[in-house]
Amino acid sequence: MKNRLRELREAHGWSQGDLAERVEVSRQTINAIETGKYDPSLPLAFKLARQFKQHIETIFEPHKG
Amino acid sequence: MQRPVPLRYNLQVAIAMTIYVAVMVLAWPLVRTAQGMPVKALLAMLPVLPMLYVIGLMARRVMGGDELEQRTHLLALGVATTVVGVLSLIGGFLAAGGVVKLDGGVLIWVFPVLMLVYGLTRWWLITRVYGGSPGMECDARQTMPWRWRILLIAGLIGFVALVFWWRGDRDDTLLGMLCGMGAAMGVFLVVAAVRHLRGKAE
Repeated sequence: MKNRLRELREAHGWSQGDLAERVEVSRQTINAIETGKYDPSLPLAFKLARQFKQHIETIFEPHKG
Repeated sequence: MQRPVPLRYNLQVAIAMTIYVAVMVLAWPLVRTAQGMPVKALLAMLPVLPMLYVIGLMARRVMGGDELEQRTHLLALGVATTVVGVLSLIGGFLAAGGVVKLDGGVLIWVFPVLMLVYGLTRWWLITRVYGGSPGMECDARQTMPWRWRILLIAGLIGFVALVFWWRGDRDDTLLGMLCGMGAAMGVFLVVAAVRHLRGKAE
């Protein structure tokens, strides 16, 4: 799933570790989500959306087709 | 469940494994000469105690991990269980058919092989599938650098060898093996330290 996580994180001046701490996951998980290698669960996606005060659909975009 | 602190987890596992090695070296050989079945059984089961503690630590680590960590742990354990199950099946049929001779001691290797396959599979998942590195699981400040881990293990092996020698046990092979393992780790650390300092100087 494509996502704007890295763009939003960098706009807030947070490192992957900072964001990981805020949503209580490991830095590895944040990295895997940002690189599109892992799709987060719904609760984690909601947590991330709350951090950036955005809707899930503006952060995560499912693959077409 | 609270996320486990890697440094504390690594220390606890290192201590438990050292106790396991100490028990295997110092107490387990007494099984053969022990008098009475209850004492024999107790001595034979002694190494199980630190291993049960390590299993408990691992379970807590898995339950305290985040969703991706739990996925990699459980996938790796699934693969390891399958591999060990298949190997056991093959060994069992070969032994039952009289093709190979296997005694009960081979069962001791089930858990180490399980852990080896689990570790390799998890490493592969983290690095090749999810694009991370094993050290990314945690904040670098919370984990013990690998040099310190090897130094700790070398020190603990040296301590076990010292107790072994102090007891006056005459198994020179085992004592030599322990001293060799500790010394090899020490040499490795010295070489790594020299390379690290040279890298800094450049």
